[in-house]
Amino acid sequence: MSAVARLRDSKASINELRALAGSGQLGYGIPETAFKAGLQRKPHFIGCDMGSVDPGPYYLGAGELATSDTVTIRDLRLVLNGAVRSGIPLLIGTAGTAGAKPHLDYTLELMRRVAREEGLSFKLAVVPADVPRDLLKAAIRAGRTRPLGPIEELNEDTVDRASHIVGQMGVDAFLRALDTNPDVIITGRACDTSVFAAIPLMLGFPIASVIHMSKIIECTSICCVPGGRDAMLATLEGDSFVLESMNPQRAATPLSVAAHSLYEQSDPMLVIEPEGVLSVESARFEAVDERRTRVSGAVWQDTTQKTIKLEGAERCGERAVLCAGSCDPRVIANVDAIIDGVRANVADIIPSTPAAPYELIFHVYGRGAVSLFPRKGSSADAEEIFFLVEAIAQTTDVAKAAAGVTKQFLLHHGFPGRLSTGGNIAFPFTPPELSGGSAYRFSIYHLLEIDDDSALFPVHTEIVK
Amino acid sequence: MRLVDVTRVIRSKNAGPLQVTLDLMFPDRAGFDRAVKANSLTRDAIADLYGVAAETVTVIPYAAAFAIKIVLDRPIIAGTPGDSDVYGAQQHRPLLEIEI
Repeated sequence: MSAVARLRDSKASINELRALAGSGQLGYGIPETAFKAGLQRKPHFIGCDMGSVDPGPYYLGAGELATSDTVTIRDLRLVLNGAVRSGIPLLIGTAGTAGAKPHLDYTLELMRRVAREEGLSFKLAVVPADVPRDLLKAAIRAGRTRPLGPIEELNEDTVDRASHIVGQMGVDAFLRALDTNPDVIITGRACDTSVFAAIPLMLGFPIASVIHMSKIIECTSICCVPGGRDAMLATLEGDSFVLESMNPQRAATPLSVAAHSLYEQSDPMLVIEPEGVLSVESARFEAVDERRTRVSGAVWQDTTQKTIKLEGAERCGERAVLCAGSCDPRVIANVDAIIDGVRANVADIIPSTPAAPYELIFHVYGRGAVSLFPRKGSSADAEEIFFLVEAIAQTTDVAKAAAGVTKQFLLHHGFPGRLSTGGNIAFPFTPPELSGGSAYRFSIYHLLEIDDDSALFPVHTEIVK
Repeated sequence: MRLVDVTRVIRSKNAGPLQVTLDLMFPDRAGFDRAVKANSLTRDAIADLYGVAAETVTVIPYAAAFAIKIVLDRPIIAGTPGDSDVYGAQQHRPLLEIEI
């Protein structure tokens, strides 16, 4: 009997459900001591999240993992051994950082390798999250997509240009995967909450406390003081749940847990899921002891229209990067005019044309380069500045050419009052132009209205041994 | 009184690639109450501080955590060439200067 089937069969005897959150970022190194302490507590299942949109569009666009093979394999070894040898289900969401086909396929390859090496065999349910382009185009024509913030309306050209498009599956997809009675579930892009919510919902626990618990433990011990990445145990009691870090140095206090509602959320009061909205405004946080907090009182509202969050990335071009610094006060004082002059020189030598377009972007550190917003009341000139110049072109050759010409003209650009005729800038190494590989951007960050998610997120099963 | 003198945390981070959020966390209710009433932390004052339109700013007090969340539209989608802070983790600086 599979781990999920066993759990379903023992449903009647489960008054308290223990969920072990193994990792919020599988592949970056799961602290082993806390994870093993969590296993000692006999959890009913283990959940791990493996992805995020935070590291930017590159990973989704290029189909690459942000994590190394070495650590990803180490983490998979830890959680697979922990779950399969204990006979409890393991759920992993957003395989391989971005959760598109290449990420899921590669993570599966690593998982099969670990299983072979460790002599583990289990039934695996796999749920990809790639959104079929024809389905999405039909939805655009039917007016069933909308922007999720300040981004253009979705159109069919954008769909065609995207390297990969994924949808964030919710609990419905996980529940369908659980129906196949697997031991392990791994999915493409998924809501981090669904990884932890699916089994409690399958067993009939109330959705408000289940979703609230899931939203907190998906980041493991970040909700503690001091925050950390150690495994977190949640004990679901019904309409309440108790949180405890598996590292004794970390305490889940009412304030630290409440404050976690702020983390990376645009509204601390609401958790928006494909199937509805959780309001935590009325939630209560009570200390059980100095390290544990009991949470209750959130309110769930089913939605009348299910929506799936879409993410897509498209290639902008190839990137070359120039690195150089200056400590000459006259260069620093004249930097804006110098850059304008250099841009003009570069455009003369390599015109950006429709056939071979490129973009030159100057980041001048020491002059407000970190700020996304206009600086007010700018202070005195910095002692040193750093030029990080990006050239983005359709080919590596044009990108490197633009960066190289920029380097030479920046070095020798003349300006009124210049003393530094040996060179305006210092290079930290040679060559100072680096190839940055392909550059991507998020072109899709939209909602898709759906009635049923089974076409978007099909479930496959296999026996791994 | 300077905001930095009554806060426990002043941080920024993306909330998805289209928005950046600023969290102010206070050690106690007194600091939180004072900040909630401050003229320098209204939607218009934040819009002025960050040089953006007030319609793109949301200020949400969250009493359960003695915290205030501010949400701004990102001027550039995270990670697009020309971005300067992919995670949005360094956009809290202007708040370090203000008085409440």
